Amino acid sequence: MRKYHLVRRADSKIGRTIIFYAVGILVSLLIGAVILMALGINPFDYYGKMFTIGLVGNRYGYKSIEGFLKIFVPLLITSLALGLSFKMRFWNIGGEGEFLIGAITASVIAFNSSGIPNFVTVLLMCLAAMISSGIIGIAIAALKVKFNTNETLMTLMINYIMLYVIRYIGETKADWNFFLREDSERPKFGTFPDSAVMTGIPLGQFKLLWSVIIAIVLTVIVYIYLKYTKQGYEISVVGDSSATAKYAGMSVGKIVLRTMFISSAMIGLAAALTVSASGTISDTVTNNVGWTGIIVAWLSKLSVPAIFVTSILISILQYGCQAAATQYPAIDSNYADLLQGLILFSVLVADFAANFKIVKKEDAKNA
Amino acid sequence: MEYAIELKGITKSFGPVAANKNINLSLAKGEILALLGENGSGKTTLMNMLSGIYMPDSGSIFIDGKKVSINSPEDSGKLGIGMVHQHFKLVERFTALENIRIGMRDEGRFMHGADVRKKIEDTAEKFGFDIDLDKVVSNMAVSEKQTLEILKVLCYGAKIIILDEPTAVLTVQEIDRLFDVLRKMREEGHSIIIITHKLNEVMAISDRVAVLRHGEYIDTVVTKETNEKALTELMVGRKIELNIDRPVMEKTHPLLEIRDLTVKNDEGVIAVDHINFYIRGGEMLGVAGIAGSGQKELCEAIAGLRKIEDGQMIHEGESIVGMSPKKILEHGISMSFIPEDRLGMGLAPSLSITDNMILKNYNESKGIFVDRKTASEEAQKVIDRLEVVTPSTETPVRRLSGGNVQKVLLGREIKSGPNVLITAYPVRGLDINSSYTIYNILNEQKEKGVGILFVGEDLDVMLALCDKIMVICHGKLQGVVNSNHTTKEELGLMMTGTINIVNKDGKTDGIAKDSAFTDEEGNA
Repeated sequence: MRKYHLVRRADSKIGRTIIFYAVGILVSLLIGAVILMALGINPFDYYGKMFTIGLVGNRYGYKSIEGFLKIFVPLLITSLALGLSFKMRFWNIGGEGEFLIGAITASVIAFNSSGIPNFVTVLLMCLAAMISSGIIGIAIAALKVKFNTNETLMTLMINYIMLYVIRYIGETKADWNFFLREDSERPKFGTFPDSAVMTGIPLGQFKLLWSVIIAIVLTVIVYIYLKYTKQGYEISVVGDSSATAKYAGMSVGKIVLRTMFISSAMIGLAAALTVSASGTISDTVTNNVGWTGIIVAWLSKLSVPAIFVTSILISILQYGCQAAATQYPAIDSNYADLLQGLILFSVLVADFAANFKIVKKEDAKNA
Repeated sequence: MEYAIELKGITKSFGPVAANKNINLSLAKGEILALLGENGSGKTTLMNMLSGIYMPDSGSIFIDGKKVSINSPEDSGKLGIGMVHQHFKLVERFTALENIRIGMRDEGRFMHGADVRKKIEDTAEKFGFDIDLDKVVSNMAVSEKQTLEILKVLCYGAKIIILDEPTAVLTVQEIDRLFDVLRKMREEGHSIIIITHKLNEVMAISDRVAVLRHGEYIDTVVTKETNEKALTELMVGRKIELNIDRPVMEKTHPLLEIRDLTVKNDEGVIAVDHINFYIRGGEMLGVAGIAGSGQKELCEAIAGLRKIEDGQMIHEGESIVGMSPKKILEHGISMSFIPEDRLGMGLAPSLSITDNMILKNYNESKGIFVDRKTASEEAQKVIDRLEVVTPSTETPVRRLSGGNVQKVLLGREIKSGPNVLITAYPVRGLDINSSYTIYNILNEQKEKGVGILFVGEDLDVMLALCDKIMVICHGKLQGVVNSNHTTKEELGLMMTGTINIVNKDGKTDGIAKDSAFTDEEGNA
């Protein structure tokens, strides 16, 4: 006999949600602390370094901010893009694959850009990445619209296809392969010529890359797009009920194709900005944004301002974990990944707990 | 008196909503008890607790005088309770026999044993069921499926049978047959609870009537000592006028003419088969037919949402065949269809009333932005005019009650000022009061000279509200009758295809004398 059951809470109070989140994070930090102590590290010390992303007491503090932003920009743009398609109930989980396509096409231009002005090269890289990623997105959407294929499977498969494509490029020494360094015996990705490396506004020693400004402007545009434009309105209606959209005379297929193009093209843009900012490409260039972006979009309930804030917090977590881990010889980046996983998991549990509660059968009438 | 079921102080809540509050109810042995109440009054929830789908939060259930705890449908079955759900629980690909067989637990390993068939056949014979045990469920008509459901619970040895709105999908004749079976079951000593909100049926079949209102138990009365008016008052909680107005208007020329319309459904089967009809301004034409006789396909075809295979559709002298839904709307034909889930078509449930108002004309404003200012003014107008109960114009439609949702939908359809209004099941699931508000809105439109196509379920309502009624059966027109000169029985026979009066007295129904069609090609 079932004594307990889950009941959705009737109201959602922001205060309660914050408390649950705080408790969740605290619990995951406690578990992390136990592991740290077992390794002989003072957890307060470690967490202090983590949450200040290594800023405090560091002569090269600006480096930390630059490092943080390099994680933040692709994550933000990818999360926004995924949010766009999720809003339409199009389960685009191919962020990784779309990112890699954009990164590869951008790199094709980058490696062949010697002599072209920097501004032109970076612009071309962005355009090429957006178009190539967008085409893949539109192709998957077209299969869905035309043959009603399952977009979740299709986008998922793109991730693996592209992962192996980039590994193939990275491991194949050949005359045609301009991606690799010529002076190295072992296959190794080369670095872009200066013409393809992102510049920025110098603020003292700190350099504010153009990609950061682009990401912030894009956030505002996506916000306005979803909230105030006709196309944004169409996305909400299609997401809410495609039968209703059809009935209202909307061309659902066209809307799905268009939105999926925008969504994938944005991920392509994120990829171009990322490779340009780091000046090289690798098979770990995505830094898992295609996956993390899904979590960001859902934790934010697909709200654009919330995606912005959540992206900042997750990027701090990621960079902080890495930065702190480098300070201790006893642990490596695997611990950083473990801790991130713990925190994200507990936040998801907290989110669930904030929306549902367990009631005893006899008490249900007082619920 | 000996009771088959006694419920004492039953309470059940879903989150903050109490579906049943402290309910006391008794079912005597060998009686038919009607459970009466408006939609959302908690009838189905209460019965689901007897069939083990839900468990009560508090209160006790007594079966044959013994206190029991029903934790699963299996427990319920062991106690001799059988429920026939409104939405049938049958395996579509199985035959009747197999459907019954899968629920028999202690009959050995084999599906098609001779003893099993014998047992089922005996039961069917005993209660006078006429059923083909080897017919596959997907080939069955609705009434056959229902017969199967009832036979199934009888075969499982149920002594207490609960029927949830069994008549909603049946024609008049089929209802009579069902009632004969129920009376036979009563003679055999079975106890029956029948859930319904049709008063004439309650009067016809039940021994006693228990009334629920807003989740609370109101009273149980003996059927012989009451009447429909008294029952309505118990059900609604106050006095109510049961007359539906039918203003008589001077009819104008045919606004919409449909000729030889043929449409296929999603499975590619012909759903609307060479139908002819026309609607004049200031006229309300009812469409009667058993559920799934092509009503949905007909509405979608006129609204431009479904491709037509053959035929003509002329609106004010202009063919609308092949036009986009938007174009047809601009021509002044507005369609609202309330599907069974009531939200799936026509409204975006998570969006606000404002956003739903502009669903069909958001593209008319200039520029790339949605004009929400005008939209919210329009929303406010509809709210004021149709008395929609809502906290604000920005409330998601999902949070409104059923009646208010339908008012929003209808309000949007009439705000564009259509001259042909197609409305399917506009009062589906509404309580009596909200239904009357909707009828008034439709009558107002009619008085303005709008031609209305009213696809409905309740024949009594259609006879009272519509000027004429066209009946379809399997997508074929069975005739168009004047509401003043027909009866429910006649309509029922037409709905089952028993009679067809399309070509009566040398004239053909559905073709106007002053038709805009002039030649065979249908050119005006």
